[in-house]
Amino acid sequence: MKIPNLLTIENLNFRYLIREEPALKDINLCFSSGEVSLIAGASGCGKTTLIRCINGLIPHSYRGEKTGQITAFGKDLSTLKLAEISQMIGTVLQDPERQILGTKVVNEVAFGLENLSFSRSEILNRVDESLARLKISDLRNRDTFSLSGGEKQKVALAGVLAMRPGILLLDEPLASLDPASAEETLAILRILADEGMAILMVEHRVEDVLKIHPERVIFMSSGEVRYQGTAGELDETINYRDVKLPAPMIIDRVKKQKDVHTFPVFKLPEQNKQSLVSFRNVEYFYEEGVPILHGISLDIRHGDVIAVLGPNGAGKTTLVKHAIGLLKPKAGQVLIGERDTSKMSVAEIAQTLGYVFQSPSHMLFAPTVEEELSFGPQNLGHNKTSITKEVKEAIDIVNLSGMEQIPPLSLSFGQQKRVSIAAVLAMRSKILVMDEPSAGQDYRNYIDFMDAILQLPNFDAILFITHDIDLAVIYANRILMVNNGQLVADGKPQDILKDYDHLHKNRLVPTSLLDVNLKYLGKTGRFMRAEQIAQVL
Amino acid sequence: MLVTWRYKPRKSIIQFFDPRAWIIFYACFIAATVFFWDLRFLSIFFVVALSVAIFSRIGWKEMRRGWLFIGVFIVFFSLLTFLTGRGGVELYTSEHLIRNISLPFSIFGWQPILKISWEKTFYALSMILRVFSLASMTILLPYSLNPALYGIIFKGLGLPDKFAYGMDLTMRFIPTFGRDFQLTMDAQKARGYELEKISGGLFKQVQKLAPLMVPVTIHAIASSEDIIDAMDLRAFGIGKRTWIQELHYQKRDYCLIAFSILMILTVIALSLFGIGKFWVPSALIT
Repeated sequence: MKIPNLLTIENLNFRYLIREEPALKDINLCFSSGEVSLIAGASGCGKTTLIRCINGLIPHSYRGEKTGQITAFGKDLSTLKLAEISQMIGTVLQDPERQILGTKVVNEVAFGLENLSFSRSEILNRVDESLARLKISDLRNRDTFSLSGGEKQKVALAGVLAMRPGILLLDEPLASLDPASAEETLAILRILADEGMAILMVEHRVEDVLKIHPERVIFMSSGEVRYQGTAGELDETINYRDVKLPAPMIIDRVKKQKDVHTFPVFKLPEQNKQSLVSFRNVEYFYEEGVPILHGISLDIRHGDVIAVLGPNGAGKTTLVKHAIGLLKPKAGQVLIGERDTSKMSVAEIAQTLGYVFQSPSHMLFAPTVEEELSFGPQNLGHNKTSITKEVKEAIDIVNLSGMEQIPPLSLSFGQQKRVSIAAVLAMRSKILVMDEPSAGQDYRNYIDFMDAILQLPNFDAILFITHDIDLAVIYANRILMVNNGQLVADGKPQDILKDYDHLHKNRLVPTSLLDVNLKYLGKTGRFMRAEQIAQVL
Repeated sequence: MLVTWRYKPRKSIIQFFDPRAWIIFYACFIAATVFFWDLRFLSIFFVVALSVAIFSRIGWKEMRRGWLFIGVFIVFFSLLTFLTGRGGVELYTSEHLIRNISLPFSIFGWQPILKISWEKTFYALSMILRVFSLASMTILLPYSLNPALYGIIFKGLGLPDKFAYGMDLTMRFIPTFGRDFQLTMDAQKARGYELEKISGGLFKQVQKLAPLMVPVTIHAIASSEDIIDAMDLRAFGIGKRTWIQELHYQKRDYCLIAFSILMILTVIALSLFGIGKFWVPSALIT
């Protein structure tokens, strides 16, 4: 049975106390039970603020000026306590790392119920039920910190479901998941909605969410709702440059509108045999008997643009940390040029190899973006004039011009991530290594800076870890696939990515862009982005 | 996300008891040790601490880092007190010299002389035993208490729900801080930062630590905000809380608690009679 208007938002406006601009303007929405609603939009469009207004964190934790009314199950939320709201509306935050509190999975899932003072037997029943529902009963007694990203996300979801909310809010639930985990999570959400829950999901990965046929799609931009309707008409209203749409949709649009695109010319040197970094039979483990990397042998060569693909917890980050010497192999060797990394300091390696960490919050410290960016080149002993030039160029590439004097720590997550990339670009290393450069970025931003980076003439090779197969399709000329600490594939994108069985085995899910590329490979001759295919055809 | 200490279920003397009983014993042991300066009494505590460490069944490899840290700490402070005699002055009034050693160097024309006395020697020895006993008993705890039980342990010791959960989070904050520090260190090294190269005056040196201290601090603040949000969103602190874990005292736990209380009472009684103060064998100083 569908309950219409389970959640209604009327004339909602909100402005954070510390900001001058309102974060939400005149929002009017209503949601029914049994429906999946997708809320899409670029970074800073107000999606997360909207979620916070619904789950009560605004005004409970975030102060500001709020007008308008939100009602759920016929009750005005502003009259309810957070604990009362949390029993009706469950929230899964963007990063499960930031949500999980319990030490063991069972503690985590029980947390809300413990707080609501249910009896012990009732709690344990509900915990087991939630775990079974998400098919993760086997994780029950595991330590939460030892779980993979996908498992963490499901455990966080189980903890919310155990409280049996009628409405479920999800803030970018797919952001840190490998494609197969994302697909599984989405399938579960579809089932929950079909069983009668109202699901509101904020997500950048529009294409993935469209696969579970959301009843309603909402597009937001600068705090306002710009589109509200079915997925079918989505492509008419929103710009395919802002939000990643399925490739066939983009191709249609480009053809219909006769859009003309110019595509960047990548400036990397021709691929040749010269080895820049060489892994020779590398083994690594934290605990003896539990190998993290096993028998890795590969060469990063001149001209390579490598995408490292693989499931959560496969050992991708461990692998690339060896390249910069943060980890030294327990057996085998890693060579930079001719030199063994075990005999080099990280700072020494940093002269040739720049490494962008996954999380920007672990490295930003300076009072201004400009100083943050000069830190690396200063450490490497560059002179003042070249530092000024390097910093300026790096800022332009990541599209942060005008923000030079702003403290990086006051920026949004997406902007911080771009600062962290620029901070490494400014060091002018010959080899660039990036760990999930697109995580937490909206589509337009990451496409722009990836384009800009590949147009730079100064790199000999680029390597990036990603869960986004499209990023590999568009930019890479070589794929490394890692699973269970082993290299399971190494070759040209056209050769590796056409084997769908192999992709599935490694928890990767082909995208529509890959489909289209393989279909027209005969005509195009190489992998390219959807707009480009449209123009070739 | 909070990580935990490296706990493993072990057939150890600590895990033989209910964790609450052990914490009570631990607290009494610490308090009792602090009462004494007498080397003879301290040796008893030292032997107890040492045997607990040996029967904790925690491998040397696992604890090595912790011990190295504490070892350096103990040696440094004992040496300092031995060389300067600082801190001991309140315990003894006169010193009996063993010998004076003139150091083979001079600072701005002043030649330091080491006065080695029996009092200083015994004071330093007492210090070593004391600090070792305290540190050893403390360092074993995180390896031996099941992190999933932290909350209920503190609740069981009589703390209100909110404080008990707070203690749970605090216990896990320490290793989490360690991990975050390592991540920041790695990220800055990758930007060519070298801690070893820090030089200059004190202010300059502190300033040059900013690339480490700022991200670690900010990260700690941000993650505690996340934790608060996550707790609020799941109705924490609205009333009485159920704890799904249960702890049950056995006979042996009552015995241990009784022993602990007896121990601390005895120690208090002894100290009231003036027993257990700083001691140097009279044969040596007469």
